[in-house]
This record gives sequence, C-alpha cells and structure tokens, in this order.
Amino acid sequence: MKRRRFLSGLAVSALVPPAFATDYLSIEGAQKALFPAADRFVPLSLARGAAALRVPDARVAAMHAFTAYAGDQLVGYVVADAVIGKFELIGYAVGLTPERTINGLEILWYRESHGYEIRQPAWRAQFTGKTAASPLRVGSDIANISGATLSTTHVTDGVRLVAQLVQATTA
Amino acid sequence: MWPFVAALTLSITLAACGGGGGGAGSAGDPGLSDRAALGKKIFFDPSLSASGRMACSTCHDPAFAHAQNNALPVQSGGAGLDVPGFRAVPSLNYLEKNPSFFFDSEGTPTGGFNRDGRAQTLADQAQRPFLAAHEMANGTPDVVVQKLAAAAYADDFRRVFGSAIFADIDTAFLRARQALEAYEREDPAFHPYDSKYDAFLAGRATLTAQEIRGLALYQDPTKGNCSGCHPSARGSDGTPNSPPLFTDFTYDNLGLPRNMAIPANADPAYLDMGLCGPERTDLAGRRDLCGAFKVPTLRNVATRKVFFHNGAFSSLKDALTFYVQRDTNPEKWYPMGSSGALEKFNDLPPDLAGNVNTTEVPYNRKEGEPPALTDAEIDDVVAFLQTLTDGYTP
Amino acid sequence: MIAAKGFLMHARHPLAVALLALGLALPRAALADEAALQKRIDALEAQLRALQDQLTAIRADAKSAQASAANAQATAEKAVAAAPQAAASGTAAVAAGNAAPPASMAPYAFPQIGPNTVLSSYGEIQYNVPQNSNDALADVGRFVIGIAHSFTDRTRMAAEFEVEHAVTSADDSGEAEVEQAYVEHDFTDHASGKAGLFLIPVGLLNEHHEPTVYYGVYRNHVETAIIPTTWREIGVGGTWHDDTGWTVNAGLTTGFNLSKWDPNSDEGRESPLGSIHQEGQLAAAKNLSGYAGFNWRGVPGLEAGATVFYGGAGQGVDFAGKDAKVTLYEGHVRWTPGPWDLAALYAHGAISDIGDLNATFAGAPTPVPATFDGWYTQAAYKFTFGGGQQLGPFIRYEQYNTARSYVGLPVGFDVPTGPNNKATTLGLNYWLTPGVVFKLDYQWLRPDDTQSRFALGIGYAF
Repeated sequence: MKRRRFLSGLAVSALVPPAFATDYLSIEGAQKALFPAADRFVPLSLARGAAALRVPDARVAAMHAFTAYAGDQLVGYVVADAVIGKFELIGYAVGLTPERTINGLEILWYRESHGYEIRQPAWRAQFTGKTAASPLRVGSDIANISGATLSTTHVTDGVRLVAQLVQATTA
Repeated sequence: MWPFVAALTLSITLAACGGGGGGAGSAGDPGLSDRAALGKKIFFDPSLSASGRMACSTCHDPAFAHAQNNALPVQSGGAGLDVPGFRAVPSLNYLEKNPSFFFDSEGTPTGGFNRDGRAQTLADQAQRPFLAAHEMANGTPDVVVQKLAAAAYADDFRRVFGSAIFADIDTAFLRARQALEAYEREDPAFHPYDSKYDAFLAGRATLTAQEIRGLALYQDPTKGNCSGCHPSARGSDGTPNSPPLFTDFTYDNLGLPRNMAIPANADPAYLDMGLCGPERTDLAGRRDLCGAFKVPTLRNVATRKVFFHNGAFSSLKDALTFYVQRDTNPEKWYPMGSSGALEKFNDLPPDLAGNVNTTEVPYNRKEGEPPALTDAEIDDVVAFLQTLTDGYTP
Repeated sequence: MIAAKGFLMHARHPLAVALLALGLALPRAALADEAALQKRIDALEAQLRALQDQLTAIRADAKSAQASAANAQATAEKAVAAAPQAAASGTAAVAAGNAAPPASMAPYAFPQIGPNTVLSSYGEIQYNVPQNSNDALADVGRFVIGIAHSFTDRTRMAAEFEVEHAVTSADDSGEAEVEQAYVEHDFTDHASGKAGLFLIPVGLLNEHHEPTVYYGVYRNHVETAIIPTTWREIGVGGTWHDDTGWTVNAGLTTGFNLSKWDPNSDEGRESPLGSIHQEGQLAAAKNLSGYAGFNWRGVPGLEAGATVFYGGAGQGVDFAGKDAKVTLYEGHVRWTPGPWDLAALYAHGAISDIGDLNATFAGAPTPVPATFDGWYTQAAYKFTFGGGQQLGPFIRYEQYNTARSYVGLPVGFDVPTGPNNKATTLGLNYWLTPGVVFKLDYQWLRPDDTQSRFALGIGYAF
C-alpha cells in the first residue's frame, strides 16, 4: 500500500523514495554528514537551473535541494535525489561547497543484490573536488564497479546532473 | 513393516479370487502376480503342443538365457517334431524394455518383437509358436484353448480370468498370451542384470586386463565400434542411469552368408529378408529394408549356441571374425559361384546387395586391407562379451 | 534523527518550511553589526529568491496535482509509464528540449509491472562465419525475461526465464529454462542470504552475463568451457560485505551429476562441467556441494577475487563413479582505470576418484578428464560520445584445455589429452545507449583453425 502511494505520487514528482524503514541515512543524516558545521538547511528550488538546462520538471521534482547555513554563513548546498539501479531505486545526496565543488556523496538507501560497493567510501570519494565542469562519467574520471555498471553509471549521471543544476541555479 | 505387507498381499489375493487377477503370488511364486504365475505354468507346459513334447521352454531354455540349448540353426516342431523352422531361436531375455515397432524421426525402423519386428507386443509375439506348423502346431486358437482347459492349471486360469473364460476362444487365447507376457516381464530370470559387467559398472568388480582390452575394442569407434549398435554405457537407452541393454532396437543388414543347413534354403527361390518379408508382409514394398534384421541384445551372448538370424555361426569367435573380415577376406565366408566369381552376400538377391551395411566400422574395409581387429583382439572382445553373462558372483 | 519520510512530507509544503526558516533568521539579524547586517541582507535576498522559486515550484506542483487528480483512477503502472517517457536512458530528455542539453539529464526508468515488481530482459542475436567453412550461422542465442519483486525493503525475489536458440520443442535444438529463481533477504546492511535457484558467484561472467556487459559477440571460452557459465544451482547462499571493499560469499548447493557423463559424446570435451551440470532440473541431490569466495574492490575500479567450489558428483547413483568429487577454483582481476577495462582470469577444474569409471569408458572417445583449466586476459578501451554512446575496441587472448589429464584409462587405450586451445579475439562493442550493444569480432582459434570465425552480434539488456 505504501508503495502504491509512492507510485501514484510519481505523476507529481518523478521519483520519491520508497519506504525508508531501513535506510543507511536519512536526508537529515546526509545533511549533517556533508556539512557538520551547518545548523540550518533551507529548501532551494532548482527550477532556475532546470529551465536553463531544459531538464524536464518531472525529473527535477524528484530532487530535494537545500542551502546549508552555519549561523549566517552560507556553507554549501545539499541535493537529495534518487536514480534507478537495476531493479531498485538508489537514494543519494550530494554536497557542494558555495563554490559548487562537490564535497561529498552519501548513499541514502540501496536495495540491489549487486553493486552495494557504491557505498564504499573509496568509491564515493572519487566525486570529491569535482564540479559541473568535470566529466563526471564512469569510464572517464569515475571508476566503474565490476558487476554494478548500471548502478555506478546511473548514480554518476545523477551526480553530474545535480552538479549542473546547482551550478545553473546558484551561479 | 513386512507383516503388514504380507497381510496386504493376503487381502489382495483374497480379493483377486473374484476373478479380477493382477494380485500377487497365490500360485506359489513369490514376486509374481497371479497372471504371471499362470504364465509361468503355460511357459513350461508341453501339453499345449501338437506333439505333447514341446513347451515354450523347449526352445527358450532358462539355462540358456531363454534361447535354444543346441547348435542347430533352426529347431523342428510339429506333431512329430520333424518340421524344420526358418530362423535361429532368439533369447527372450531383456525384452522388457523393447518398444513396439516404429520408424523414428529419421526414418530408422526401430523396435518390435521377432527378428523382423512384426509383433507389437510380447503377447502378440507368443501367438505364432502356438499355431505354426513348425512349432507347437496347434493350427488354430480353439485347439490351444481346448488344451488349456484340460491343463492341470485350468482352475487357476478360471480363477484369474473368470469362470467362463474358456467359452470365449479368442479371449482365452489372448489371456494365455498375456499371462506369458506378464511372466516374461515380471520374473527377474528374464532380466536379472547381474553379470560381471553390471558389477563392474557399479564399481563392485574389476575386469581382467584382457576383458578391459576387449571392452575398449568393443567401445572404440575406430576398432570394434560394437557399441554403435549394441550400446554398452549406462543410460544409453535414454533413461538416466539405466543399465545398458546392448541393443539400440534398430535393424541392420550384415550380408550374412546363406546357411545351407537350413532346410528351407535348399530352395534357391526362398530368401529370408527380414523386414521386407516373406514372413513379415507389411513392408514388402520397402526393398531398401530387405535383408535387415533386428539388432539383438548381447547380454548372455556367450551362452548362445548359434549366432545371427540364420544361425550361420556356432561360435562367438567366428561371429566376431565374420564382422571384421567379411570385406577384407570375403573368400572365407562366401562360396565361389559356378562362373568362378565369389558370391558375396549370397543370401540376398544380387540387386539388393547394396542394402548391406558397408559404411560403418568395422565393415567399412576393402579386400586386402587389414581387418579392424586382429585375431588376438577378437579374443579380447570375446573375453569381454563373456562378462555379459548373468549370474556373476564375485 | 527525524525519519526522512516525515521530512519529505514536510517538504511537500516548502513554503511553510521557508517561512519558518526566515522567521528563525530574523531575530538574530537584529543583533548583528553593520557589516554582518549587509551579509545578512544578502543572505535574505538569496532566501527570498529561493522563496520565489519555491512558489514557482508550488504552482507547478499544483498544476501537476490537478492533472494527477484527473487521473485519480489511473493505475500505478500507467502513472509510471509517464516517467520513462520523459526519462528513458536520457535520450527522451534530448527530444524534450530545443537545444540539446547534457545527456542523461533524466533519471533512468525501469519497467515497473506492479507496485513492487520490476520486469527485466536481455537478449542477443549472433551471426558467425567460420573461416574455412561454408557454414554461416545466424541465431537468437538467448532471449530472457526476468522479474524481480520486493516483498519488503529487506526481502525480495528474482527470477529469469530464458529461451536459447529461438525455438524449443522435442525436435528443435532450443532450450527453455528457468535460469534463476530465488528469494533474498538482507539480515543487516552488510549481510544477506538467498535460497532457491541462483547463479554461483564465480569468475567475472557467471553472475553478470548480459550481452551489454561483456566484450565480444560470444562469451569467452574459459568461462564457458571451464566455468560452465551460466552456472546455477539450487541451495542457500550468504553474502557479507563491508565498507572497505571486501565481499565474502559462501553457500551450500546442489552439484554436478557425473552419472550423466556420456563417453560417446563430444559434450564432455567441449565443457566437462557443462555436460554434467543439473540446472535445477530434477537434480540428483544426494551429494551437497559448497562454495566459498571473496572479492575485493577496495580501490575504485579494481576487483580481485577468487572462488572455490567443491562437492560430490556421484549423487548416490550405483555406478563406478559414485565417489567422484568435483573441485573448481578460479581467481580473477579486473581493473577499469578511466576508459580502460583490463581483465584476467584463471580457472582450474578437477574431477577426482574417477579411475574405475574411466575403466568402464575404455575405448570410448570421451572419458572423464581428471583436470581441465584455462585462463584469459583482456584489454578494452571505451570511447564515450554524446547520447550515451560508447565504442569499445578490445582484444582477448585465451588458452584452455578441457582435458588436461586423464586417469584410469587401460594401457594401450590412451585418449589424447587436450587440445590446448588458443583463442585470440579482436573486436568492437558499440553501445548505442548503455542498454543496446552492437558487436563485431574476429576470433582466431588454434589448433583447430577451421573454427576461426568472424561474428556479428546485437544485444540489449534492461
């Protein structure tokens, strides 16, 4: 029943995460992990970037973007998103500095039989320091995970889109 | 457990007294159904023949794998046991998995009973010996049924098949043959699978060096290639793990020499050509099948007194030697004609000599070439074939 | 920690959230000095801008919600269908815009066929022309339909149904088979178990055999002839992994059935284990088998692993091979630095206690090999183009011997071992999108170069 509600919701926002009961991280958890110093996360619309990049509304509606503040100081951005792995959605969150350099990738949930290696810190660390101008492609600056090509490709593509949207929205 | 089974058996037996049949063992043969136990009695009853001296077991001697116990090419029957037959006696062993006759998807004739496959079932097969003039010579079924009604086991027959069974000649004759079939199917004496080779396949016996050599030559597709038609591997009939039957139930034309010891062969016009007749009639138009006879099992082959459908050979070694030297040394097997030419394949009309299998190993050779097996190798194969005799005790 | 689900419910009212944030920010601003005030104003401006955007977004949401309400009776499947249209593999996104935006702008969609059920499929069609022969062959090598269903977040099943060689009947050479059917459960985030018919985690290909993930028109020889890909067994298996790259697999399963060995067929020489695998088809299961293996992926792009499989192959059948045991082990490395894809694998199989059985096969052309092995090494380079297109030239060199040694053959009736096959494959994979691949290659085979061949293939997977 829970899942059915999720699906009818798809018409509104393309991808809303399924049940969260056993996630690795909540979005709040990811926010804190990416910006430990931040004390506020203010929702941010990516509509401006989406319009500039001609990304379909439905795709952007799946995302949940925030601006992170430490006191009055803007310390960065966090975007939570979901992509398809092979059979299941993968939830992840990307942190970007005010200069829109990626400072971290967190996996929120993962339900595939294969490819859980994307949770490894070593794999996720590849994204740190990349920007919207980076290739951010598997087989280029991001290494593939053998046996989890779809998961790695889709997450990497998702991170690239996030970086470009944040860049186009806030620059 | 066993007392329960015994009680069950008893109750089934009592129920069977109503005439249904099919229960187990009231006739004193443990393991045999009533019908099979009755079949056993019929099998050994000489009173069912015109001579009063010929039972099924006369020609199908249990001590010789249910085949003939003498070296005559054909047996004689009739009222005076002086009417000669036409073919050597086949073993009745290991027919329990023999399929009815059919052409397989590639058109290969397969299965059936008798050397020409014309009987569709064992019960069907049992018809001819009761009636044929050269066998039990009863002529017609009513004579057989009359004798059955007078037999010592007539009451058993009524009990199993109904009190009025003898009043219906055709049904009674059929039931007698079905009883024989049940006996052949049920009694392990017809298919014991307890040869040395069976023990070897099960890892419970080792073959001697000569027997192993013989097996290797038997199975080697470039040497004996015997297993091409007489499969020796487990499961070769398509049933996983089933013991090999040493026949693939097909037919082959070996081009055997005409056996002049068969009285019928005195008439040059008489040609026994297996699938295409004259005994079998439905395939008379298939001239390509003329001369083809059924591939028999080789289990217990070493107990045989004569070999092939016409009993042309009386030793296993001769039979094997014929296989490998038929084409390399034809002069050893075929007579010289009046014109001075060798009459190869002289048991077939000359225009059908092309039907003979001359393509497969070991009979794919030409005159002068070395035979597929040497004399010593033939001895090895004979040694191996002797491991196919049932009743092995380590 | 607030449950994220709750958070997302709030997020459906972003205006409220934004106002709340603004309200919290104001009192603090009053205490700041001038410089800080200016900064504060800047921040507020930014927040106001965000607020405007949120309003825009809410309007868009409302519009969508209306549309959604109009379709209130529509099934979930229908609703999902809209997403892939806009999203499938990124190309739809290109069509949606006037200028071409970056590829893969859209999320990847997958064919949901029920609330928690996903359809998958892969297929490959091959065409080959052996060098020294007039036989050219075109074949629908495989067509597979799979379903995966999540019962809960932690419990799911997956099954694949496969048809090989297009047509299956008593008179055709095709096969229809259930390739996988298992239930999997996550005990923790690091440990899961599965039960049913599943692929043995061995080598590089067995679990990942879709045409889009391997190079060449046909699967490599070593992982076909030595490791009998697609190798599955019925049983239970467990997987444990940590965050530093270690994965450990172990399981208890059905195994091989040596009583099926046909000494008169070539099958055993083509693939010794492939000829006696059971594939969950009324599998004789007197002897259990076990496997254990590991993979290490601690450095991004690197995978190194090994697996051993061991089990009795007599299966309680009363035959001369009743004590036989099968041992298979392999080690593999795959390294994908940037566009490179480098792989190597060695596999070794042994069937022990087969002397008596081979004696019964005396003279037959295909006795049971005591050992068989093979290795390969492969290098590929992926060029990436727009729209998800990729071009991957590759070269692979293999050596394999399906009959490295024999035991138990009678003196004078030795069967030649080998041959020691060598295959060099040079080819090209072209991915039109990640899910569709066209392939061509040429393969040199030694010593039997009559089988050297040119091949073309097309494959897809989703």
